[in-house]
Amino acid sequence: MNSAVIEILAPRYQIAWYPWAVQYFFMIALAYASLWLALPGLLGARRWKATARYALLGAMTTAIVAPIALLADLHQPLRFWHFYAYFTPWSWMSIGSLMLPPFVFAIIALAWLVWREPMLAWRTRDDMTGLIARIATLGGWQTPRFAVVALALFAAVMSFAIAIYTGSEVAILKGRPLWNTQWLLPFFAATGFIGAAGLVLVLNRFTGARDADTDRNMLMVVVAAAVVTALVALAWALEGIFVEDSSVAAAIQSVRHSAEWRSTAIWSLSIGASMTLVSFLLVWRNGARIWGWIIGLVALHLAWMARWNVLMDVQTVQKQTAGYLEYVVGWGSSGWLGVIGTFGLWIALLLVIDMFVPWKQALDGPADAPAEKTDISAKGVPSHG
Amino acid sequence: MDLARRMFMGQLARLAAGASLVPLATVAEAAINDQPPRRGGDPTKRYAMLIDLRRCIGCQACTVSCHLENDAPLGKFRTIVSQYEVDDPETGDMSTFFLPRLCNHCDNPPCVPVCPVQATYQQEDGIVVVDAERCVGCAYCVQACPYDARFINDKTQTADKCTFCTHRLEAGLLPACVESCVGGARIIGDLNDPESTIARMIAEHRDELQVLQPEKGTLPHVFYLGMDERFVDRPEAFASIWEIRGTDNEELHYEFSGH
Repeated sequence: MNSAVIEILAPRYQIAWYPWAVQYFFMIALAYASLWLALPGLLGARRWKATARYALLGAMTTAIVAPIALLADLHQPLRFWHFYAYFTPWSWMSIGSLMLPPFVFAIIALAWLVWREPMLAWRTRDDMTGLIARIATLGGWQTPRFAVVALALFAAVMSFAIAIYTGSEVAILKGRPLWNTQWLLPFFAATGFIGAAGLVLVLNRFTGARDADTDRNMLMVVVAAAVVTALVALAWALEGIFVEDSSVAAAIQSVRHSAEWRSTAIWSLSIGASMTLVSFLLVWRNGARIWGWIIGLVALHLAWMARWNVLMDVQTVQKQTAGYLEYVVGWGSSGWLGVIGTFGLWIALLLVIDMFVPWKQALDGPADAPAEKTDISAKGVPSHG
Repeated sequence: MDLARRMFMGQLARLAAGASLVPLATVAEAAINDQPPRRGGDPTKRYAMLIDLRRCIGCQACTVSCHLENDAPLGKFRTIVSQYEVDDPETGDMSTFFLPRLCNHCDNPPCVPVCPVQATYQQEDGIVVVDAERCVGCAYCVQACPYDARFINDKTQTADKCTFCTHRLEAGLLPACVESCVGGARIIGDLNDPESTIARMIAEHRDELQVLQPEKGTLPHVFYLGMDERFVDRPEAFASIWEIRGTDNEELHYEFSGH
């Protein structure tokens, strides 16, 4: 620039999508990626059955919480029925509103089919769990295997639609150059897998069963998804460097002089690289059992932060005026209360299911009282069985 | 922005100002993110605005009258005049540049096809409006507009934007911003009427007219005369107003912050 320009007066253009949007994109990505992690076990892979138990629990709970967060991001949530009264096939968001219910209900139905199998044994109980089992199983019939397979495959097809629509919905927006790239689709999906694998690692640790195969499987998924994420980020950056007038170039230009964006990039890169390296070492050195859940928490953090950076931080880059919005997350419902509330709802849902559903016995899980398994050798580690 | 890029953008802005005048055929394909058919309004007209920046003195009368006319919430604007201090590279003198901003009522409005409930639409006279009864407040259109012309109205919790004061046009009145402009910088009119002031001015200044962010392909219908090319896109400017900080190094906020 060969002359100085000072912006004397311009409005402060506020953000329009609140942290609710981050919660939705985070939860829905966990839901569809967890479903994929559950698929091998659901379809019969023996060493993935324990993984499938956690992944299905993760998919089912996040699939329920995600649309609630989405609804809360509308400024007129009670008008949600307008989506169905005025279907708009040329709008990605409208298409998404048609895809979401079948996806969510397919996952709920799938979990119900899988969980009602061990639940049948609870029908004779005298307590509350027995009453719920008698109602929720809808009769004493055995779950047909083909129904599980068919529903799992249907949910998998719908999960593709969800991954494509959530990515495209944001990627088509020319108004924000940082979003306007098709690389956003694989980026959301790959970081979704990082988060889902992390979720399964954490569930595996804190629900007590602590399955060794699951730790190994999930650490490998973390490594693979992190490598894919890195490749996507690299491809995006290369496009910005080599392709003239690409939106990527505009995006990079728009944050070139921001110290905050630089530190965000450095933080994500260093955490991501460390997580990948340590996951690899844990698989290689058989340390997964003790440290796997910490990787799980880091993976969840990364997947969530990726969405925060993309959805919240990008909104602070002004579109046509100079500088950045100094966005402070409020404590109210469109701020931290929404974030904490979403996670609180999700944990509550987990606890309710853990209380009333014998999900650990599903998919050939250990019979009641899922105590320590035979391959466990570590001593002195508390177990929340 | 380097000189070469700036010159390129300037040329593009001029070309696009020309391109904006070629009417986009009413497209009705259902491909995702394509423009839906226009509806309502007078099909014989195509409203547009020409802003003669040489006449703008940055008094914000348009901003204030628009606020009063349209009851926008405090801190949010259907139109506002951005103000810049620019040094002249040749003389070294400082000068001031005023840029009135409002909805561009584009011929290819990116805000329209994204709307999931068809609450926002383009009338046949080119004016882009929002049906506040139908709007769900998803703010997708706010994100889609490259011109920050849209916002969520805190009072109605729905999307809000400049309508060229269509309610006044229908009553035979000028939009509030045009009526209040002391320098007569804002000219609104019907492009389809070759005798209108705007049509005659566009014919006269065709090569000098520029539009904002032409590379986005939105075909804006607010044309600027006397435009400085550095402001066609997001300017590389020092945002001085946000650098005013209190003793705790926190940015000082508007007194109506929180409304």
